[in-house]
Amino acid sequence: MSIAISSARGLRPTRYAAVAVGAAVLVSGCTAGSSSSSGGSGGNGGGGGGGGGETLLVNTSFVYSTLDPARAYEQTGYLTIHSLCDTLMTFDGGNVGEPLPELAEGFEVSEDGTTYTFTLRDDAVFSDGSPVTSEDVLFSLNRMMNVKGSGSAFFEGLEFSAPDESTVVVTADRPTAEVPTLMAMPVTSILNQEVATANGATDAEDAETADTAQTFLDSTSACAGPYVLERNDPGNEIVLTANEEYWGEAPGYSRVVIRNADAQNQKLAISRSQGDEIALDVTGNLLDGLPESVNVSQVEDTLYMLYMSTDPAISPATSNPDWRAALRSSLDYEGLAGLYGQGGDRLGGFLANAYPGSLPVEEGPERDLDAARASLEASGVGDEPVRFIYPSITYRGVDLGTVATKIQGDAAEAGINLELTPLALPAFLEEQRGGSVVMGLTPHALIYPRPESLVRQLSPGGVNAERVRWSDGPAAEEVTAAAERVLTAVDGTELESALVDWQQAMRDGSPYLPVAQNSGSVVSTEDVADAEYTPAGWILDLAAVEPA
Amino acid sequence: MTRTHSSLTELTEEQEAATVTPSDDPAAPRRRWWQARTEASRIWRQPVVVVALLVAGAWLVVAIAAPLLAPFDPLQQSSDVYASPGGDHLFGTDALGRDVLSRVIYGARLSIPLALTIVLCALAFGGLLGLVAGYVRGIIGESIMRLTDLFFAFPQIILAMAVAAAFGPSTLNAVVALVIVSWPIYARVIRGAVLSIRSEDYLNASRMLGVGPVAALRRDVMPNSFGPAVVLATLELGNSMLLLAALSFLGLGPRPPAAEWGAMIALGTNDISRWWVSVFPGLAILTVVMACNIIGDALRDRFDPQSVGGR
Repeated sequence: MSIAISSARGLRPTRYAAVAVGAAVLVSGCTAGSSSSSGGSGGNGGGGGGGGGETLLVNTSFVYSTLDPARAYEQTGYLTIHSLCDTLMTFDGGNVGEPLPELAEGFEVSEDGTTYTFTLRDDAVFSDGSPVTSEDVLFSLNRMMNVKGSGSAFFEGLEFSAPDESTVVVTADRPTAEVPTLMAMPVTSILNQEVATANGATDAEDAETADTAQTFLDSTSACAGPYVLERNDPGNEIVLTANEEYWGEAPGYSRVVIRNADAQNQKLAISRSQGDEIALDVTGNLLDGLPESVNVSQVEDTLYMLYMSTDPAISPATSNPDWRAALRSSLDYEGLAGLYGQGGDRLGGFLANAYPGSLPVEEGPERDLDAARASLEASGVGDEPVRFIYPSITYRGVDLGTVATKIQGDAAEAGINLELTPLALPAFLEEQRGGSVVMGLTPHALIYPRPESLVRQLSPGGVNAERVRWSDGPAAEEVTAAAERVLTAVDGTELESALVDWQQAMRDGSPYLPVAQNSGSVVSTEDVADAEYTPAGWILDLAAVEPA
Repeated sequence: MTRTHSSLTELTEEQEAATVTPSDDPAAPRRRWWQARTEASRIWRQPVVVVALLVAGAWLVVAIAAPLLAPFDPLQQSSDVYASPGGDHLFGTDALGRDVLSRVIYGARLSIPLALTIVLCALAFGGLLGLVAGYVRGIIGESIMRLTDLFFAFPQIILAMAVAAAFGPSTLNAVVALVIVSWPIYARVIRGAVLSIRSEDYLNASRMLGVGPVAALRRDVMPNSFGPAVVLATLELGNSMLLLAALSFLGLGPRPPAAEWGAMIALGTNDISRWWVSVFPGLAILTVVMACNIIGDALRDRFDPQSVGGR
């Protein structure tokens, strides 16, 4: 979904903002955010001022540790790698329903849904002009698996082979419909084997330790993408220039400067920009007050969810189904969705609207304080305080503390006593991993745009289920059976039907409570066209962006 | 002129000893008292000091009478989110529709008593160690002062953050963290005061009369060495309030949904176009801290023999 804001209010007078900042600095001199860049006027950072269209300036809060495709896992890394390196498959803009061929001409799937045969294009070349072969594809996929980066976990059970120069076969140990989507993930980027090997890359089984190509790949691209890497300065900016040897359609801008800036500075920059400029972290409530001239592309792709321990030894309250029902009935879902600003909405089930199988909002839970009080009384728990943790971060323009405080206030009206416990992100993750969390709030974005990834994580046996110690009971059995149908569905209709069943089973008996969904956003100036947000993982296809 | 924290930490022992000047003139105390009274009367008539006293007094009244003054429950959420200042909400509302004015008023009930608690606890703990270090000297005194030096080696806010993060965010832990980082300055100042009076005739006389060290500390040393510390405590009150707000700003202070000024500023920085969410609690901190500093300055001018007013 791509929308243009038509009734945005202007920014408040700058002097007030300056006073606000001054007052905040008075506190301690400590300011939030980690950006090292200024929020100065846009359009001139990379020469894009004046709307010439030669250089595109992209502002984002840097989150990446490497540009090596096999090791990358973070948002900024995916954004950059997707522009540097083509994959077998890809997605067109924000539509993640159907993967499209990129370096592959197409694919065939076996009747049992376990074998995918990809045929490569014969005109694709790397940035040094050499042709892309099945050997390069095989090398890149095997290297990704053997380097054992975080992204490789989703490829377990897959094997790769190259029977001839233009064919690659992916074999799964179970029927699955996920393979084409997985082959679009930036971790499966196809490297030039000859160049990569000459600079320390290997696809051997000991690649985790033997592969030394990361430093090279952090400074040079050895792929077949629309851009090549000009400079990688991790604290400040990443500069891309158009790949003169690119086999496909030339990108809209000859140069792209990806600049590190925090969300507030991005908002200021995009509001004042006179040139070709984009902001990737202006979302949620930050979208209020933008000039009417800017374009906003949003997709609802993030789920915010409460999870509660089912272990009575950890919490007699959260392990009690009646107490969980009381909490479910106590929340003001409309008000919670309102906290996310223009991109927020209620949830019908467990899947955000971006994904197939999402339930209509009307099917979501409703607030009923009388029912909440009755369930609380039936639980026999009383008003014992329940420790409620959340990471004290702002995610996609929304302060999670504000969401948690709203939940606490709503629950208090039904007599439920939640003890808010904000934690720094590392402490929060550590406590989550420990499996002793009583109750927590976390945003949940799909790691790759297939609902199966969420099903796998939340169902009994999944990572999240283990954290809340949810493994048995009638509800767990029902959810496990529904999840099995989802994970083995090959046909799209069958998958959607299985997802509906799974969400209904989860809604009735799981220890999770989805509270709202939020959007990712791409905000662009009027001089820029086709800047479309995608939930595919790389936020924006930089090569598709053009001068207006 | 406000003496900065860092300059205090750099005082040498000789400078510390000079902060209280003994005299052999038997008429000197009466003369000093008269001069001091004249100076005091002049200092307290300065317009800026009068304003500071009024501001501090007003905030004390606000803190005490918060339930009567606040138009709304500070924790009450409403659907009227981010309402601009004016109308029913003089200071506007925040992201959860809570009345900012009511939260600022109730924030005084939290911030001011907590800052006082921090200062008093640090004064008591640091003062006791300073008394012992100045009076006993030897290895015990040296050990205490080296420990003090160790604490001075760390920036206050960094150390407070480390302690608060280790204990976990809560009001009690924030206070403990700030007491831990605040006591050394009192220990050093009081030790300086004790060093300057430990050779006074009245102390020698009491020793010769058989008064034990504990009794001498309690009856003679303590009352005569706490003057500079009380002045320092007034100056530090503002600093403690800033540190407490800073911890809260970083999420290491009182837990939500408590109305604490630093946490309110942090909430406002999520969207600075809604300036009222952070500006009003920021102004509250600004006024209280400035009032404390001006009053502390006046007290220092009144009591410090090195300053113009104190001469």
